Amino acid sequence: MSVTWQKRTHGVQRRQEAFDRALARVFLAVVVIATLLASLYLAVVARNTRLSGQVWQMERELVEWQRKNEWLTVETARLSSIPVLQQRSIALGYVPATDVHYLVLLEP
Amino acid sequence: MLRGPEVRLRLIVLLLGALVLLIVGQLVRLQIFEHRRYVVEAKQLLERQYSLPEERVGDLFDRNGDLLVGNLPVYDVDAYLQREYHAEAYAPQLAVLLNRPEAELQTALTFPEGDPATSVWRPLAREVTSDTVRQVQELELPWIVFVPTWKRYYAEGALAAHVLGFVNADGNGYGIQADQWPLLFVPPQRSEGQVSVFNEPLPDEVAGRSVTPVRGMDLRLTLDRTLQAYIEGELDRALLEYKAEAGTIIVMNPRTGEILALASRPTYEPSRYPDYVAAGQEALFRDPAVSQTYEPGSVFKLVTVAAALDLGLVNTGWTYEDRGLIEYGGVPVRNWDRRAYGVQDLEGLLAHSLNVGAATLSTRVLGADHFYHYVRAFGFGQTTGVELEAEESGVVHMPEQWDWQDGFLATNAYGQGIAVTPLQMAAAVAAIANDGVLMQPRLVAERIAADGTRVPIAPMPVRQVISAETAHTLTELMARAIETNMKQATVPGYRIAGKSGTAQIPVSGGYDPNDVIASFVGFGPLPDPQVLIMVKLDRPGIDPALRWGTQTAALVFQRIATRLLVLLHLPPGG
Repeated sequence: MSVTWQKRTHGVQRRQEAFDRALARVFLAVVVIATLLASLYLAVVARNTRLSGQVWQMERELVEWQRKNEWLTVETARLSSIPVLQQRSIALGYVPATDVHYLVLLEP
Repeated sequence: MLRGPEVRLRLIVLLLGALVLLIVGQLVRLQIFEHRRYVVEAKQLLERQYSLPEERVGDLFDRNGDLLVGNLPVYDVDAYLQREYHAEAYAPQLAVLLNRPEAELQTALTFPEGDPATSVWRPLAREVTSDTVRQVQELELPWIVFVPTWKRYYAEGALAAHVLGFVNADGNGYGIQADQWPLLFVPPQRSEGQVSVFNEPLPDEVAGRSVTPVRGMDLRLTLDRTLQAYIEGELDRALLEYKAEAGTIIVMNPRTGEILALASRPTYEPSRYPDYVAAGQEALFRDPAVSQTYEPGSVFKLVTVAAALDLGLVNTGWTYEDRGLIEYGGVPVRNWDRRAYGVQDLEGLLAHSLNVGAATLSTRVLGADHFYHYVRAFGFGQTTGVELEAEESGVVHMPEQWDWQDGFLATNAYGQGIAVTPLQMAAAVAAIANDGVLMQPRLVAERIAADGTRVPIAPMPVRQVISAETAHTLTELMARAIETNMKQATVPGYRIAGKSGTAQIPVSGGYDPNDVIASFVGFGPLPDPQVLIMVKLDRPGIDPALRWGTQTAALVFQRIATRLLVLLHLPPGG
């Protein structure tokens, strides 16, 4: 085995190993980047789904509160309607004013 | 031959590479080249058009902000049936909870035999309360769906029924609700997106959609519910007292055209309108104040006198000799009591309500052109524009029309042979009270948008019908006329102007010999009128000698005016 052959052979082997290592690094980098991107995508999708669920839930709650609010408006109107007020007034002993006198106050 | 590990390793790498290429190739095909087709297919499977939740119809409030018509939150109960649910077994329980006949629910909940569909939709109950919904939810039936909806709620029951009216499921109706429906109600918007099996949008769709439900506007009306309740009580009392078949009372602010109260009888309960339809009583829905015309009788003399005064053809010193009869166009005109009153001036004409005097003015002083110019200017023969559905314009015969008869000029002068609505008559007299300016009668004081923005509606002057001077002169004549000849219409402590009318009722071939329409229109307190009251009683059934407007409607006016002036915080003496 001559020195020249050894050099050539060893040189080829080193270049091949260097190429394989570089390829492996690139492959690893691609895998890492792909994994990161996939994770990011999944995180975004998961967050989006969670937020969508929250928005949906909040919309439902909003509608429910609006309906409760309207029910309270209606209930307030029922309790302060003229027939109810008349009954309460009579129960409290009020009578319609029949003889109204005005007190005239002169402006200062 | 595969020799050595290196060769085998390369072969495996090649195979894996090919496999990866195959997968990538497929992904590229599916995601890029056939992307559109799969999106369409997915949409067809998951996405549908659906209605956004129904927003409530706008509320109606009175002028002080008290609710008149609101919305009660209720639910529609539906079932999405599948064959394996055997939902019919729950019919007895649901019948009790939903208050529906068991047999009806049994039929509704039975999956149809031979139906190839995998599921069917069935309505079970409409407009049930949240308490009922809670009870049904306790049964834990996944195939029952509760659809939130609204039911119109009338806070004061039948109060102001003709004004408030109603609107049915087809969007047709009566009253202010029908007239203002495009403002009060915004039809549910539609969107397209992913929906569940119950046709409900999925969370992603809800979060991402660009359209939102839109609520109708609320309206604050010019009505005062306290005055309205009082007026309706007085109208009921008057109908009983004078045995009248029907009646109308209008209370207006002549300065602004605002209607403070408007009541008519017979009436109905708007919340129960389907019952009236089922009983064939739809005629009750029409508001007599705007949808029924009548011959106004002597109240119309105000128009005749106003026209003559405004043109300067007569003044307060003008006189004529009343011989108890005047003939024009072949029509003999007599006074209400067939008496001759001798020499009379305008005050005497109004105080004694002389038909001969009014006909003299229209035929010998004014002439048809002048007279009908003022009739139209006062708003007769055209709708007032009030925010009520089905308003009539009335009937005014004009000289150029084919059915014109010369006698109309004489009879129209004292309000016969002409048809007006009570609101037209009230608005015309309000013009006299308002320095001669005709105001458009109105019921909407303010529009309130869903975001709380308030848009007040300003008073709407229609035109200057007569000069302010003429209006003041006529007002003074009216006041003096009732002070001298109709004390039953005066209110102690206040000066009031007014005019009564007793009109015959046209029937086929002439006039009803037995019945009349009695009315009175007055305003006050003078000199700055703030309120106008019109009372109209149809066919009073009391002694014919006592059913004149002066003996019926004028008394009701006096009673109402006495009370209203207090309620409106208008002290005596201005």
